[in-house]
Amino acid sequence: MTFRAFLAIVLCKLLRLVSRLLHRGGTAMPGRWALRVCPGLLGILAKDVKTVAITGTNGKTTSARMIEQAFADQGKSYFANRSGANLLSGITTEFVMNSTLSGRCRKEYAVIECDEAASVSVFPQLRPQVIVVTNLFRDQLDRYGEVTHTLANVRAGIQGAPGAKLCLNADCSLTASLADDLKNEAVFFGIDPGACPPGEKSELSDAPHCIRCKTEYQYDFITYGHLGAFRCPRCGYRRREPEYAVTQVVSQTAEGSGVVLCVRGESRLAEVNLPALYNVYNAVGAVAAVTEMGLGADAGIAAVEHFKCGFGRMENFALGKAGAKMMLVKNPAGCNQVLDFLCQVKEPFALVVCLNDRGADGTDVSWIYDAAFEKLKACGGRLGQIAVSGDRASDMAVRLKYAGVAPKALHLERNYEALVQWIDAQERPVFIIPTYTAMLELREAVIRRVGGAEFWE
Amino acid sequence: MKLKICHLYPDVLNLYGDGGNIRCLTQRLRWRGMEAELVKLPIGSGESLAGADLIFIGGGQDFEQQVLLGDLHRGRDKELCAAIEDGVTVLAICGGYQMLGAYYETHDGQRCDFIGALDLYTVGAKKRMIGNYMFRCADALGGMTVVGFENHSGRTMLGSGAEPLGKVLAGFGNNGSDGTEGAHYKNVFGTYSHGPMLPKNPDFADLLLRTALERRFGRAELEPLDDALERMAHDEMCARLEREKT
Repeated sequence: MTFRAFLAIVLCKLLRLVSRLLHRGGTAMPGRWALRVCPGLLGILAKDVKTVAITGTNGKTTSARMIEQAFADQGKSYFANRSGANLLSGITTEFVMNSTLSGRCRKEYAVIECDEAASVSVFPQLRPQVIVVTNLFRDQLDRYGEVTHTLANVRAGIQGAPGAKLCLNADCSLTASLADDLKNEAVFFGIDPGACPPGEKSELSDAPHCIRCKTEYQYDFITYGHLGAFRCPRCGYRRREPEYAVTQVVSQTAEGSGVVLCVRGESRLAEVNLPALYNVYNAVGAVAAVTEMGLGADAGIAAVEHFKCGFGRMENFALGKAGAKMMLVKNPAGCNQVLDFLCQVKEPFALVVCLNDRGADGTDVSWIYDAAFEKLKACGGRLGQIAVSGDRASDMAVRLKYAGVAPKALHLERNYEALVQWIDAQERPVFIIPTYTAMLELREAVIRRVGGAEFWE
Repeated sequence: MKLKICHLYPDVLNLYGDGGNIRCLTQRLRWRGMEAELVKLPIGSGESLAGADLIFIGGGQDFEQQVLLGDLHRGRDKELCAAIEDGVTVLAICGGYQMLGAYYETHDGQRCDFIGALDLYTVGAKKRMIGNYMFRCADALGGMTVVGFENHSGRTMLGSGAEPLGKVLAGFGNNGSDGTEGAHYKNVFGTYSHGPMLPKNPDFADLLLRTALERRFGRAELEPLDDALERMAHDEMCARLEREKT
């Protein structure tokens, strides 16, 4: 190791120490400075670590927590970037904190979630053993650009990690196309046609045209969004048979989903410990990753059955008479899935929507019109008051008005302390759907009232 | 009273919540006891624009541009030009707005011919113009302030045959240099404003409805609506952009 790398490690550890003394997270900043001193630092530290990396638009954090659970259960020596700092800087910080001053990593394995745009700079240094790509949807166009640009980024990143085995979502035509030209070995995961009630064909598909020849896809089955059994009538590009398949969704409740998982031809039952169909995808992807990392499918299945995600992903809080559940939303596809979940709630509930437009949320809030808030009409009388908050609360209120919500059912509350009080005063269960930075702030306000873990814990 | 609203290429020109504009137009008619007939004209649709009172064209991704141009040049271009000359009200945003001009030239000199209904052209630049922005519409249109979000790399230059829709108050507008935003020709309103534009610019939404109703029925009395939420969202963004200027 060079003297430069040593300096960078010392600097990073010092900055982290100072951050924590100041009660800050210090998740990305120390790594950013360390990289200035030694740009190739991550490559040096990650060299001897067996890493599984998770990227894609939606489900990165949840999938990473599921995978991490398997490593914890098996008593493996591992670490993970739990704080959500998933750019080169944050990932570097995490590696430094798990390394000695001489640059030797103290852990055998790493579970790393990686921002899809950052994958191009991260993967060539990280050289993961397994890379999971969960899905690709349109997301924060001001930051990522078109979804095909994101795909190109991920592809370029994987090109820098030729030894990585890929776990790809077979049902996402964009993600699955990574196996077309990359030489990496690839396995697929997905939800088989007929395994669950079919989703509706969305007019706002993020990938209506063939990635190879631009002809409109035909679908034999859709789970949601553009995910499903796609095929191109012209060039023949189609969904591959996944090695890791959900062949049946047996039950779907507010607590979780029961599924039949077929791993390389062998079927087993699994109870996914989080509700909604998108978490079924996260679960089958996690089982694929855990198995390909050599821990065995049983370890993967056990992990998805008892892991806890927290951190704003279906996270429960002891607020109000009947509890509150926080569900992070970032883009139309994810938001539609959350809205579908709300439509299935049987009991009366209250709703909180917090819309921010800072860098990590996407500065363009137009996407709220691509999310089908009209679905809320299906909740009828079960949906009571809707509190609206965040930097762009009034835009959210207008959106809900145009979705058919009566303005008198809207409660605009910009102050988070007051909002938490409002939630705590509700008789009904409360569902909170914040964007990323709104989630961080609101979570802090909630924790000040009822307690809970800091974001980096 | 009923207006026929045509949404052109909703299957590919549907970025940035542009569909919210359609929802806004139809709702504002219905809240006033009028009717809206919505016709969607995706790629490959054989249905004509005949009888359209209002045509909406949104923005799209580069990936589908060839698919779109193929369809456009199979006759939709001439039909659209004829409708525009005939005084049909058109709202065209971003990619849809550029498409009404003569051509788009990429920054490395490749030229892509568009329909030439409006006297303008667009040249691609490397740096994207991204952010919240606002502009003031020409006095003849009511002089209202419009807020939205722009995200484009194309710089649009207006010829003498097209008036700017307005003057940039904050942000980039057509090209980031001459202070103009959008274009206005006959009853065509072209703009870079995503947002989507209409829900939080109710005066501008009503301008479109009034223009279309006057052409169809010779008169247009629009009852005022309760736009308190809309105006709050609008005014907050105006204030924020003013603050950021200083």
